[in-house]
Amino acid sequence: MNHSIETENLSLWYGDFQALIDVNVKIPDGQITSLIGPSGCGKTTLLRCFNRVNERYGNVTTEGKIEILGKNIYDPDVSLPELRKAVGMVFQRPNPLPISVYENILFGLRIHSPMRSITRTESDQIVEEALTSVFLWEDLKDKLKIRATSLQLEQQQKLCIARLLPLKPKIILMDEPCSALDAKGTLAVEELMEVLAGTYTFLIVTHNMAQARRVSEECIFMFLGELIEHRETQALFEDPKHEKTADYVQMRYG
Amino acid sequence: MTTRAERKQKIVLQSIAFIILGIAFVGLWHELKNTRATGGQPASEAILLSALSSLSNNLYIVLSMSLVAILLGIACAFYLEEWLPATNWIRRLIESLVAILTGIPSIAYGILAILIFFSYADTLKEAIEAFPVPENIEVIPSEIETTVFYAEALTFILMVMPLTIKTTQEALRSVATPIREAAYVLGASQWQVLTRQVVPIAFTRILAGGCRSMSRAFAMAALLVGIYTWHYTTEPGRMSGRFILFLSVALFLSIFSSTLIWIHGSDSAQHS
Repeated sequence: MNHSIETENLSLWYGDFQALIDVNVKIPDGQITSLIGPSGCGKTTLLRCFNRVNERYGNVTTEGKIEILGKNIYDPDVSLPELRKAVGMVFQRPNPLPISVYENILFGLRIHSPMRSITRTESDQIVEEALTSVFLWEDLKDKLKIRATSLQLEQQQKLCIARLLPLKPKIILMDEPCSALDAKGTLAVEELMEVLAGTYTFLIVTHNMAQARRVSEECIFMFLGELIEHRETQALFEDPKHEKTADYVQMRYG
Repeated sequence: MTTRAERKQKIVLQSIAFIILGIAFVGLWHELKNTRATGGQPASEAILLSALSSLSNNLYIVLSMSLVAILLGIACAFYLEEWLPATNWIRRLIESLVAILTGIPSIAYGILAILIFFSYADTLKEAIEAFPVPENIEVIPSEIETTVFYAEALTFILMVMPLTIKTTQEALRSVATPIREAAYVLGASQWQVLTRQVVPIAFTRILAGGCRSMSRAFAMAALLVGIYTWHYTTEPGRMSGRFILFLSVALFLSIFSSTLIWIHGSDSAQHS
């Protein structure tokens, strides 16, 4: 099986604090993989390594190797914009840009192409395609000009996924994408992920174990910066090999 | 989260800022004491007078100098806020200085600064003219004495810049992190994030901050002109007209800037 993401002895420090300790992980192509673990265990840090957005926070040291789509992303010739084009990210709180729905979807494309190189017909089509694939087109086709921040949270989060699609990413990282949504919204986003999986590789950080079980094929359990167990979701939950995993998935703490 | 080391660094930088200002004020005191001791008028009084009169006659000076100072301040704030990390000591030092300087009422500041700069006006002129400037460019209007111009310019820059730096930094900070992150993860460069998201969102606030700073400059100019009028001129009518003009401009600008902020509200800057 092909792997979209591979890390080798990945360690990361925030100042003196080591947040990731020798993480070796292989994320399979075209599947949903979930990352679980108690707060502060490094799930989000690991996720943020894969599009190198960690570096923005300063005082971060990384060691080891991360290969994404077969290329080490710490090679000097790697272009960050290209990397982030291939690896999309969705945040905990929906963060549409405070511009229209239409422009939100085109934002990514516009920053990667020369000024005025996208014609009106092209952009109309791109917006329609992106919104259709996240099931928002019917709801929003008459509201393309309204400010994206005035949508319902669920629609905002779907829009945040939709705006990645015109860039044709290979991998979509999600950092607790449903924690700001209600049950209905959560379900809608999960359904969307299941439809899109296959085309895209999903890596989702979640605190909701039921969600991890529902959506993911493989599951990674992390604890205090270390990767403890990485197996098929079913197996990890029903027959955890490691004591800490067992404690966590059976909700003895966390 | 402030650690012990950070707090220590803050205290050190605050002290350095205080010392810098202290030296400036001691210089002034020294100058004033010298003149008292010799029993004569301050050597700078002639220049001071000509500065005040040029100020009274030229709306242009206040306007252009504060504009330059505002642009410099905005550029400086962008550099501090967007390029230097929050832990950088130069940034900390400038921020401490700015915090102290914005707290001083403009009249106290203006008069003190003018006295200091005018005391050392000649040295200042020599220092500035040491920089090579293309000869065909005429920056200074010919009717104004160059010595006066430099001292005035520095006064305005030093008074207007800190406030502009502060308001611009606040405007930039008001753009919520999630908005920046959203742009970054779509592959935007820092420059693109700034020009396409941060500046459009923060624009009104930056503009309002600029107006506030300019209002401060005009308020100070008005007071200086007032002092000049009441003490030195024989034609108070014309001068008090100027005084009122400057005051109204100051008032208008400050009301305009509050209105901008009020209309703009927390609309787009924060994430709901």
